[in-house]
Amino acid sequence: MENVIRIDKVSKIYRTGEVTVDALKEVSLTIAKGEFSALAGPSGSGKSTLLNIVSGLDKPDGGTVELGGRAMTAMSASDLSDFRRDHIGFIFQSYNLIPVLTVEENIEYVMLLQGVPKNERRERVAKILAEVGLDGMQKRLPIHLSGGQQQRVAVARAMVAKPAIILADEPTANLDSKTGHDLLDMMEEMNAKHGVTFLFSTHDQMIMEHARRLITLRDGRIFSDEVRG
Amino acid sequence: MTLFFKLAWRNLFRNKRRTLLAGLMIGLGLAAMITTDAITIGTIDNMIASATRSFLGEGQVHRDGFRKTLEVELTIADGPALFEKMKNDPLIRQASPRTASFGMVTSPANVQSVMLYGIDPTYERDLSQIDDLLVSGDYLAAADEPKILIGDKLADLLEVGLGDKVVVTVAQAHTGELSQELFRVGGIFRFGSRQMDGGMAFIPLKRAQEMLKLEGGLHEIAFLFHDKLKSEDTALPLWTELSAGGNEALSWTGLVSELAMMRSMTDFSLFLVGIILFGLVSFGIVNTLFMSLYERMFEFGVMRAIGTRPRQAAQLMVMEAGGLALIAIVMGSVVALIVNGLLLHYGIDYSDAEFIVALREPIRPVLTLTQFTLYPFLLFVFTCLVGLYPAIYAARLTPAKAMKRGL
Ligand SMILES: Nc1ncnc2c1ncn2[C@@H]1O[C@H](COP(=O)(O)OP(=O)(O)O)[C@@H](O)[C@H]1O
Ligand SMILES: [Mg+2]
Repeated sequence: MENVIRIDKVSKIYRTGEVTVDALKEVSLTIAKGEFSALAGPSGSGKSTLLNIVSGLDKPDGGTVELGGRAMTAMSASDLSDFRRDHIGFIFQSYNLIPVLTVEENIEYVMLLQGVPKNERRERVAKILAEVGLDGMQKRLPIHLSGGQQQRVAVARAMVAKPAIILADEPTANLDSKTGHDLLDMMEEMNAKHGVTFLFSTHDQMIMEHARRLITLRDGRIFSDEVRG
Repeated sequence: MTLFFKLAWRNLFRNKRRTLLAGLMIGLGLAAMITTDAITIGTIDNMIASATRSFLGEGQVHRDGFRKTLEVELTIADGPALFEKMKNDPLIRQASPRTASFGMVTSPANVQSVMLYGIDPTYERDLSQIDDLLVSGDYLAAADEPKILIGDKLADLLEVGLGDKVVVTVAQAHTGELSQELFRVGGIFRFGSRQMDGGMAFIPLKRAQEMLKLEGGLHEIAFLFHDKLKSEDTALPLWTELSAGGNEALSWTGLVSELAMMRSMTDFSLFLVGIILFGLVSFGIVNTLFMSLYERMFEFGVMRAIGTRPRQAAQLMVMEAGGLALIAIVMGSVVALIVNGLLLHYGIDYSDAEFIVALREPIRPVLTLTQFTLYPFLLFVFTCLVGLYPAIYAARLTPAKAMKRGL
């Protein structure tokens, strides 16, 4: 199986004044294409830090990160931006959307950066909105959507550029369990149907149960890594 | 590109009150700049008009050397013929022939030396404002009646009033012999200038020529143009034409060079005012942009995460600065129009003060196209440049940090 992510002995140290925190301690990990995996672990164990480093949102203090065979750690800020635009989808815990843009414009955003022609953009937006169950909400502004709907738009936006992997940092943490469950079902379906690779960070029990691989972090180290059927 | 225009414009209106207040503040800077300029131009125009229209004229012809020495013999070469020619020149609206000499005016109470002008009442009436500025008495009527017009200050000094007799003494041409004549005070004028009201007197041209033994000669021909802007055109062939045969034709810019100098000096002071205003305004711009940036830290982080390049994030900030400038320009121009409209209507009264000349008319601002094109353009460019500071800051943020801080 082809590897999407390969990180090798990645460490990250945060310094705030006198205090230094070893957020990641020589973490090595590979994620294969099509995985539906979750990073679990208590708060402060380094899940977000790991996702940020995998996507180049933050720089590691040691180690290397490869995404789709390319060394992220050597790229310039501008190249990293383009790389994320073309290969990585993001879903954050909340405030994913640009508030002054409508649902449609939010989803279009990445395609606009990519220079996808208008007709194709509209087509893809309509298709993905139907898939995430938000047909007819094109012209709404994010504040007029529920939390669950906002997360669905975030999923749609992450999906629409056909990325190699979608990184989701606690995507259900701000949702009630029913809404969270629906969102998770939807993402599972995307994974099954389109083969999109997902890597979550979570302490949501439900995601941990649904994940087909569960990587547990503790104090910046991988504590366990189990693959389920 | 259009995506970022759209984003920038919508972002500006997220916090309408802040944007409008900042726009107003920046706009007030622009309005202050426009108004300062308009009043400066108005003041100088007023001073120039005051100087040229009261007595000086927009140009004068003398015999070469006369202005320095005031020698009675130095009459204009072919003066009367030149005057006739000037009357018919298509550029010249009005010309007035004069004599100018030192003279003593004696009353029973006192004696004072003055600049004594012989004027032709008919021609002088349309060129200078002596006739309009009489506080008592009448303007000279006939070309040779023995009447004299003096200023109120001189009247006070000589302790004379309307109809009183004074003796005028002058030195004659060539011989230098003194010539005396009796005049009645026919009118008392007030220019508002100490020098003119205390040291000038006017008698009919014919009388002056006879007293000075000039045989019809002239010392000075003052004139106005149909188009007053022509008076500042030094390349005009008229100046050389009028200077032919040993004469000297000068524009007001040469006659009262202080005024012309003042005009070029104000350009510099306006530049300083501009720097100070724009400096203050830049604090407002940077402050507003940073406030809105800090509020949107997380959002910037998300935008960067999903593929917005650092340069594009910076571009967005600069566009927001530019949008703010556009709003400011609209607001500032409106304020400037209102303020200057009021000033234009009411005028600024400086009639009690005397600068280089007396300003009898209220100062009115002069609006020009430059004020509403160049200044807004400069403000726009300047605002975008100042916007580069928060823009570069936004571009340099690592997405993870931005999202951490934005929470
Ligand atoms: N920007 C930062 N500055 C300083 N410390 C940080 C920063 N980000 C994270 N940390 C610290 O690093 C550790 C790991 O944080 P994080 O990756 O956010 O954990 P998780 O996502 O698992 O809750 C924590 O101790 C946290 O306090
Ligand atoms: Mg976290």
